[in-house]
Amino acid sequence: MRLSGHSKKNSKENITGYILILPWLFGFLLLYLVPMFSSVYYSFTNYNLLNEPRFIGLDNYKRMFFNDPTFWKSLGVTIYYVFALVPLRLIFALFIAMLLNTKMKFMGVYRAAYYIPSIVGGSVAVSIVWRQIFGNKGVIMSLLELIGIHQEVSFIGNPSTAIWTIILLGVWQFGSSMLIFLAALKQISESLYESAMIDGANGWQKFTRITLPMLTPIIFFNLVLQTINGFRAFTESFIVTQGGPLDSTLLYVLYLYRRAFTYFDMGYSCALAWVLVGIIALLTLLIFKSQTVWVYYESKEER
Amino acid sequence: MKKVSLSLLPMLLILSLLIVGCSQTGNVNVEPTQPAKVQPEEESSTKHVLLSITWWGSQTRHDYTAKLLEMYSEKYPHVTFESTPSGWDGYFDKMAAQAAGNTMPDIVQMDNLYIATYTKNNAIADLYPFVSNNTLDISDVPESMVKTGEIDGKLTGAVLSVTALTVPYNPDVFAEAGVSEPTPNWTWSEFEEAMLTIKEKTGKYGYASDVLSDTNLLTYWIRQYGKSLYSTDGTQLGYEDDQIFIDYLNMLYRLTKAGAMPTADEWMQIATTGKEARPVVTGDAGAMFEWANFGVIVESVNPDIKLAIPPYADNGKKSLWIKPGMFFSIAESSPNKEEAARFISWFINDIEANKVINAERGIPVASKVKEALKPQLTKQQKAMFEYLDLAAEHAGPVSPPEPAGSAEVTKAMADQINLVLYDKKTPEEAAADFRKAANEILARNAQN
Repeated sequence: MRLSGHSKKNSKENITGYILILPWLFGFLLLYLVPMFSSVYYSFTNYNLLNEPRFIGLDNYKRMFFNDPTFWKSLGVTIYYVFALVPLRLIFALFIAMLLNTKMKFMGVYRAAYYIPSIVGGSVAVSIVWRQIFGNKGVIMSLLELIGIHQEVSFIGNPSTAIWTIILLGVWQFGSSMLIFLAALKQISESLYESAMIDGANGWQKFTRITLPMLTPIIFFNLVLQTINGFRAFTESFIVTQGGPLDSTLLYVLYLYRRAFTYFDMGYSCALAWVLVGIIALLTLLIFKSQTVWVYYESKEER
Repeated sequence: MKKVSLSLLPMLLILSLLIVGCSQTGNVNVEPTQPAKVQPEEESSTKHVLLSITWWGSQTRHDYTAKLLEMYSEKYPHVTFESTPSGWDGYFDKMAAQAAGNTMPDIVQMDNLYIATYTKNNAIADLYPFVSNNTLDISDVPESMVKTGEIDGKLTGAVLSVTALTVPYNPDVFAEAGVSEPTPNWTWSEFEEAMLTIKEKTGKYGYASDVLSDTNLLTYWIRQYGKSLYSTDGTQLGYEDDQIFIDYLNMLYRLTKAGAMPTADEWMQIATTGKEARPVVTGDAGAMFEWANFGVIVESVNPDIKLAIPPYADNGKKSLWIKPGMFFSIAESSPNKEEAARFISWFINDIEANKVINAERGIPVASKVKEALKPQLTKQQKAMFEYLDLAAEHAGPVSPPEPAGSAEVTKAMADQINLVLYDKKTPEEAAADFRKAANEILARNAQN
């Protein structure tokens, strides 16, 4: 009797819940799910945005793998970008998180201040500023000139350094990983450090033997999240470098965007998108599989 | 209480930002000032119509076009406008998405580069029905110009202006370097010598132009050999001899290496500013390559820019062409095609309106309007009118229209030019690779 009354109340609460999330649900179905499934269909068609899609089977995928050097180029650039960006961003985030995990005045202000880049970093305005800093006759070039280093080509204009300017912009957006690290650092029991101190461990030992192992689940979590985010980067290469010079910063999503909206090649663009989904899924799977090797869970220890 | 108001502050800030953001998307919702003053002879005036319109251009164009829309709403109070001004960058990206979603504005400013693509996919409407029922009056526009908006027998673009390529140059920089100003019959070797001398004598750029984001200069170059960039059917390149492109690349290479032309890197920084701050305008370069309305666009900054006929090849072949400056097209999805056509007709023919436009979009097409403008022309406008008359003497037949896929071919051209200028490829390799890439792109697009 009591049980059924309970579940009745539950279902009533559920209905309220559903009504409350209805607008979101509606938006999700309409703006995400429907386009997602229609893009699967489009990826098998010849569709230029304006015509009626014509079914062409696997042609888009065949063209991508066997007949499109730009696809391979952009994939290479993106993988390079992600593999350089993610470790750097995580190291930087952890470093700042540890600094902010000390007791200091105005700590709240610092924490907020260090989060700001993550909010503004992906924006068009910052990308334009970035171009003024690293571009030709920009801040960096002028400063180097002052100390006697003459640069013929700016960092953005040089095909071998351009990618690093946008990686740097990515590293600078370390805020969300930092916050998660900060929360995790606070969870590590003080007693571990105390007993280490008694055993005479120095700072580095404490860091490698206690902090890092205790953080591995969080590092794992951040790694997955940031890898996915890295593959989705767009604004950086769209605004700062426009994919150039010589396509050296042509990120995958920028290429996909150009295919769809500049070259009227929507069907192919959808195919590109689904290949990207596949790549991300595969990488995520690999990271999950690697967990057993390097991620430490306290609860497992007790078995 | 104090705490509450403090926490509200950021909210308010965001809210105000949102409001500002919205108003910036430019709803020039021009409400009629006196709605009571309805003209009884207009039958349709009882029905209120909201026309959406979009165009690309500079701030000057945005300002006076907003004023024009206001004028029109005053004259026809039943029509109001929702306008979306834009820069050239991203303008057609956005339109493609709108076309796919059937949300294209009623009236769109259209370029020669895209009109074929939009016509072939039935995204823009045939205007001939409105010409026959006299809603759209083009009787004052020369037949040859009207035809530039006709594709597959459908008139999908109402041409607004004519223009031609030119070499705008800064006479002060030429004088500073002791180089004589261009004559209408100068050759490429004279051009190159002048550009190199300017660099040598003044340290400024000789030729500061964008050679990557469009194919205009290359098109002109190829026309000198009696060929065109694209074949008539648009399925392949229109020239056979790669030496033509090799010569072109070699010239760009020589100019760039001598510092007489900005590198891609330097140009990217220049391009962040508007046309008003191009090196030629600010006195940091001798010459560039642009459309004939360039002098008018930058007149407020530098009224002394002069326009020269582009250099000739040694064979002396007339390679210029008179080009439709831009069109107004009407979306096939528009429910107000007739009202839109009436507005375009007014835009083309109304003298008062064109006094406001003041030839900023290029030389007006209607001959009465052209005559009416003459007394009020500024120095640069007069120069543009005179240039167009001169250009007609140096012009050959019009090349085939830009085929579908031309945006991608432009990118392929920019890639090859860059590879040469970055010393990654010889001009010979680049010319061959460009042919391969372009033909693949054109063939693929022709299948659609």
